[in-house]
Amino acid sequence: MTVVSAFLVPGSPLPYLRQDNPPWQPLAAGYEKVRDALQASKPDALLIYSTQWFAVLDQLWQARPHLTGEHVDENWYEYGDLTIDLRSDTDLVDACIAGCADIGIRAKGVNYDHFPVDTGTIVANNFVNPGGKIPLVIAANNLYHGPGETEKLAAMAVEQADKQGKRLAVLAIGGLSAAYFDEEIDIADDRIRHDADDAANRQLLDALANGDRRSASEALGRFNEGTKADMGMKHLSWLFGATGDFKGARVHAYGPTYGAGAAVVEFNL
Amino acid sequence: MSQGKIVGGFVAPHPPHLVYGENPPQNEARSEGGWEPLRWAYERARKSLEEMKPDVLLVHSPHWQTLVGHHFLGVPHLEGKSVDPIFSNLFRYKFSLDVDVELAEACCQEAAAMGLTTKMMRNPKFRVDYGTITTLHMIRPQWDIPIVGISANNSPYYLSVDEGVEQMDTLGVATRKAIEKSGKRAVLLASNTFSHWHFHEEPDVPEDMSREHPQSYEGYKWDMKMIELMRQGNLKEVMRLFPEWVEEAFAEVKSGAFPWMLSAMGYPEIPAELHGYGTVIGTGNAVMEWNLEKAEARDAAVA
Ligand SMILES: [Fe+2]
Repeated sequence: MTVVSAFLVPGSPLPYLRQDNPPWQPLAAGYEKVRDALQASKPDALLIYSTQWFAVLDQLWQARPHLTGEHVDENWYEYGDLTIDLRSDTDLVDACIAGCADIGIRAKGVNYDHFPVDTGTIVANNFVNPGGKIPLVIAANNLYHGPGETEKLAAMAVEQADKQGKRLAVLAIGGLSAAYFDEEIDIADDRIRHDADDAANRQLLDALANGDRRSASEALGRFNEGTKADMGMKHLSWLFGATGDFKGARVHAYGPTYGAGAAVVEFNL
Repeated sequence: MSQGKIVGGFVAPHPPHLVYGENPPQNEARSEGGWEPLRWAYERARKSLEEMKPDVLLVHSPHWQTLVGHHFLGVPHLEGKSVDPIFSNLFRYKFSLDVDVELAEACCQEAAAMGLTTKMMRNPKFRVDYGTITTLHMIRPQWDIPIVGISANNSPYYLSVDEGVEQMDTLGVATRKAIEKSGKRAVLLASNTFSHWHFHEEPDVPEDMSREHPQSYEGYKWDMKMIELMRQGNLKEVMRLFPEWVEEAFAEVKSGAFPWMLSAMGYPEIPAELHGYGTVIGTGNAVMEWNLEKAEARDAAVA
């Protein structure tokens, strides 16, 4: 089996930078469970898709062998700085770039010092892969790709990993309902902005927990119709494309990130 | 101290291609040129700016997008390397800039007093966005005038275009009040592309100008119509058509810089000067100037 573990995790830096804030504490604790499960699955590489890394022209892949430095989020800069320590599995990244041509998607690698890696990728890597020991394959969210192309890309990446005989962990980084508080709030009172969003988030998480890929895809369609979701939940499309079928999931945490919905979910493969 | 004033404003778009085409020492990527008419438009704007003798440049950029309120750079000196997330092959620029924190704080306070959510950005490691940097480089490559950097609040996308414009109108008035109290001569920079329909593939040689033209004829027609109205000084009509322009030309002015600047200048009914128009991966870019001080002098001479 190529894909040995798969997780949905939030890309907001808030639960990472303020782990002691009561509304965010469960998300941080959930992330710790993911770290343990991920390490236990002994992956050779970690396949990452974050809704916050936008591409517009081609499908981009992070090709820098080692990226280090410090990152300050453009919104949440007052909560602190994030340390960047990302290593790429460059063989697998190269194979993914080449593999894109076979599925009719133009692609290229980015290999630049100081490349502005997105906050979600940095936060997730710091939580679950401290020290950057597991090499990464990071794909951008091309804004013009729909769920279909996103699934195809993820499946292609798994195929390439399979050809290289590698065990792959999958990390889908993004939120649930996207509506946030656009005024200052007391972060100790953070909650999901709208009750309807809260209900929809819970329904989707139930469907993931108790369903398979087919029923979860249907639930995802309903969720996207009724809720303004983070990037149309393309990170989940990515995960579905990578895992193929799955047998339910464990929801480790669910909570708000400045009004928006977020969850930590481990999929049973 | 005499009263400060806005001496002029520019539409100053930020495709990183323009910096790439120019090959300044700060940028790591090298080109054979490209986008000359737009770069020459900026050359003319640079001369005008020089004559305006501003104490401070205020720039509003769509690529510092903030969710909670309108933010202002609040650190006296910022430097680092800015790599464009989309065009990292073209733009890897070492920047070093000085912020007029006093004026930024005044703008922030005036806007808050008028009911907007505002915030000062105090993190010294903050990486200034590539829109701000490109606009500033293109208009003043010497980097010798302090700046005020203003974020683009997400309201036009999160709420509605009308609510977004309303906030930008308020932010503009607040900006003007703060400038007047400061005693400084200020120039405003709206870092915006007009029609934003673009190609989805980049030529192998990005500066191959045989591949450059408007991506959308509709977008082009919208830009020409709006530029003509600006050249006539008919900003009432410009603002009446604004939501349609945004919708049909997918215009980047939606993000707020353009309405902010017009509001701060008091929607002056004077002819704007078009320094030049050109496309970048198919998007429409105009370099335009409203010279308020010159217009004032002309009015005084007539009276
Ligand atoms: Fe832009």
